[in-house]
Amino acid sequence: MPEAPAAAETPAASQLPPLSRRGLERLDLLLLSAEALDLNGGEAMVWMSEQLGFSGLFANRVELWKRRCHNPLRRATRRGNLSPAETDALIRILSALADRLYPLLRALLSSAEPESVRLQRWQLFEGRLAELVRERMNPRRVGVQTLLDPQRGERQRRQLIRALAYGAGSGGYERLRASLHDPVV
Amino acid sequence: MTLSPVKQTLRYDQVSCRLQVEGLPDVSIGQAGEALGIITGWSLRWSGRPELEGRKDHLLALMATVLPYARHLISGVARPFGGDDVPVTIAPREQGGHNLELRSSQPDVAPLTVELDDAELADLVRVLDQLRLDPRLQVKLELPEPQPLHPREVLERVPLRRRLVAPLGGAVAVAVAAALGLLLPEPRPLPPSPEAVQQRGEP
Repeated sequence: MPEAPAAAETPAASQLPPLSRRGLERLDLLLLSAEALDLNGGEAMVWMSEQLGFSGLFANRVELWKRRCHNPLRRATRRGNLSPAETDALIRILSALADRLYPLLRALLSSAEPESVRLQRWQLFEGRLAELVRERMNPRRVGVQTLLDPQRGERQRRQLIRALAYGAGSGGYERLRASLHDPVV
Repeated sequence: MTLSPVKQTLRYDQVSCRLQVEGLPDVSIGQAGEALGIITGWSLRWSGRPELEGRKDHLLALMATVLPYARHLISGVARPFGGDDVPVTIAPREQGGHNLELRSSQPDVAPLTVELDDAELADLVRVLDQLRLDPRLQVKLELPEPQPLHPREVLERVPLRRRLVAPLGGAVAVAVAAALGLLLPEPRPLPPSPEAVQQRGEP
């Protein structure tokens, strides 16, 4: 069950500057990870956007996709920044998706699961994430190559799942938003 | 005749833990019904672990420690939270997972350490979130709003060895180039031209 519809722009959202390119990159990769966990992730994202009352911001799936293309790692990347209302809406959608996928996230992170089952789950997630990354991201970017590398990208893939687990739900939204606004050094 | 307020119990369940908070509506400020304005006690039950109990202060300390810790983990910064002056400490374990340490306010009770994996920590974070966002809880929690990290914290996310590679590599390259430059022989002075010799009046 989705949470209560959120305002297009909360007062707290307007206090923060627009999301940096690095933040947009992380936000899109987290959305991509949610898609990798859910076979109908793309549809779920559109449905969640409507349920949360963001039809005015993202009228259809193409508009939603265009906002996500501000990720500099994309094959067809778009220039410019998103407005705080748009990034805020995307983060709310991400938190709600993570909340919906929480049992899967938990299973990936739990050490109580048998090792073979856990490995199989990770392989399934990593395989689907790699497919999506190859399909949509620019393979010449070092960030994409690192993410796809079985060894070098392992830490980053695990970090994506952790971020989704700790950022799930309406409580997690604030944490995710703060994290995506981390400074670039 | 006065009616005594009805005791309220709030319960939040996740796979590995259950948080139960008990209290009463604060009738002095007009609370009634399902509201919980005075926390009288709480308990946190873990599957296969000792049950934790405490007063309101301990619950607030648990929230003030665990939630910022989770916030930092989203950014990939695993650093300890809490300290000797607060009853709850949480820190990453070297072999993976997290150590949650709870210190009793009673003098002779040893601290209790609970080892959590990522999934159990996520469960704990969720029950604490559910509690703080529950409209029935009408206690001022005074928890700081999650903020972006400071640049120094983002820098410290990269291990010291890896951070030092670039500046040390640069310094070594400069030193090697300088050493090679010193090894090169100095150019011999050019012999004076005949015109210069004539000007000086030499034969």
